[in-house]
Amino acid sequence: MGYTLAEKVLARVSGRPGVRAGDEVMAKPDFVVVYDFPGYTDVIFRQMKQDFGIEKIAEPERYAIFIDHMVPVATPAEELLHIQTREWCRDNDVALYERRGIGHQVSAELGYATPGGFVVHFDGHISQLGAFGTLAIGLRRNILEAFVRERVSLKVPETTRINLTGKLRPGVMARDVFHHIVRVLGPSACRFQVMEVGGPALEGISIEGRQVICGLAMFTGAITAVINPDELTLAYSMPRARAAIEPVYSDADATYAAVHTIDLTDLEPIIVIPPNPANTRNLTDHTGLEVQSGYLGSCASGRLEDLRIAAQILKGRQVASGFSLHVIPTSQEIMAQAAAEGLITTLVQAGAFTSSPSCDYCFGRIATMSAGQRAVSTGTLNVAGRMGSPDSEIYLCNAAVVAASAIEGRIADPRKYL
Amino acid sequence: MALMPIKGRVAWIFTEENFDVDQIVGVKNIKITDIGELSKLAMQSYDPDFACAVKAGDVVVGAGNFGYGHPHYPPLRALRHLGVSAVVAESFSPGFWRGEISMGTPLIACPGITTFVHRWDEIEVDWEAGLVRNRSSNATLPFESLSSADRDMLETGGLVPYLKRAIAEHATA
Repeated sequence: MGYTLAEKVLARVSGRPGVRAGDEVMAKPDFVVVYDFPGYTDVIFRQMKQDFGIEKIAEPERYAIFIDHMVPVATPAEELLHIQTREWCRDNDVALYERRGIGHQVSAELGYATPGGFVVHFDGHISQLGAFGTLAIGLRRNILEAFVRERVSLKVPETTRINLTGKLRPGVMARDVFHHIVRVLGPSACRFQVMEVGGPALEGISIEGRQVICGLAMFTGAITAVINPDELTLAYSMPRARAAIEPVYSDADATYAAVHTIDLTDLEPIIVIPPNPANTRNLTDHTGLEVQSGYLGSCASGRLEDLRIAAQILKGRQVASGFSLHVIPTSQEIMAQAAAEGLITTLVQAGAFTSSPSCDYCFGRIATMSAGQRAVSTGTLNVAGRMGSPDSEIYLCNAAVVAASAIEGRIADPRKYL
Repeated sequence: MALMPIKGRVAWIFTEENFDVDQIVGVKNIKITDIGELSKLAMQSYDPDFACAVKAGDVVVGAGNFGYGHPHYPPLRALRHLGVSAVVAESFSPGFWRGEISMGTPLIACPGITTFVHRWDEIEVDWEAGLVRNRSSNATLPFESLSSADRDMLETGGLVPYLKRAIAEHATA
């Protein structure tokens, strides 16, 4: 019987010839990546010294820290957190990537998403490195284990395989595909498992789109997601790879907890209504609803294909009066490319507010909504209070829907603008 | 070391699937850090008398995929402060599971639990037999076994003591 990609990665990093779902292993992450955030990094740095007597981290090349939240800072306390992070990284010879973009994206650009690699973070959206065949798991506070010893304890997860077939219609994006998966399979379909996505439809889904699908895996209950590497992702990831790791692939006779096939031929743009990321609906059931703000960005959008379609829709048009549209490219690399293509000019001329990359729009630290306001958003989550007042509402959708809604000041179908 | 015995009443049953635990204190209160204030707010929308009625050692019961969404730590912090000793649910969302086990909160995945107990039934968790016993009906229901790491974390009381013990054991091995 063959092995899944996840089983192969975990066998290698736990130094065993083969592991099976259910085995308990001690696994050595190839990379430990985190962003600085109060209650996480500041606590970890303190606990390392106070509780574990660690003055300097071993193998600093395995660690990377991103400053992507609280960018730019708004209070002295926020800046102090960043100062402490800079000092810790300097003292520990750990790589620090500040203001380069959202870490989950930048870590792919910088070669931490090595096919076959094992990466841990505290944040579950790191699962998006799975687009490159990397097994990347968010451990929440258990990330401390990865800072105080070489290995982390892990139960080898089962894998659910999802085969995607068909071709996306115009105006339908990877974001819709993910939420459609949740709609079809339910929010606990992959509980404690790896969501492995494959099938012929992937040929029509870009690297960026695959990052989006893998990055939201937690809303199926999965602990991460993977896509077996193909020519497209290998061409991107191998030249950047920071570790010499052999790519691995699920065997044809691997054991899956379940195998599902989902056809995308008739998929329409979707909207996820508040207050739950599992509330997938057809966009057309909610068009016309008045909205006051729009957010195009986050680790689950804000990439070139998102900016391109938004620019296509907004070119020569204007954002509705009184509507706040925030278009935030996910990394500097993406922002520079978007500028070179003239996308930023188009978006700004249409009335969009743009800024350098930051995570802060996604959780309401900036562009904060008041009670009674409503947003269309490509952010990760739509729970109450996520982007401001607990009495504001978030409708999750693809980048084209945000752009079209910005023109009308109401939830709008982008297909008439394409 | 042994796991802490769990013996108490079912102080509440959350029947909603994919339950977002932030509802326990209310989303608008999620950033409150004062434990006294948080505890007063806990369960207000479910039972305003909860804080008076609950006793040390009681448990709360949940449905499937308990803790789905974007779970924060304050709701369980508040319940623990009020005396809640464990959550027994049909199943748990992995993020919530990891977060709370690392805080040393016993979580017991026990399929069938929501129909096995009524509010205020006395229950007991038999760690060795892997059974939840309903002392009110004298019936038992098996629960899913813990991984050895999760078990160790509950035995030691949470992530930091668990890691200290694991590192010490590794050094002497």
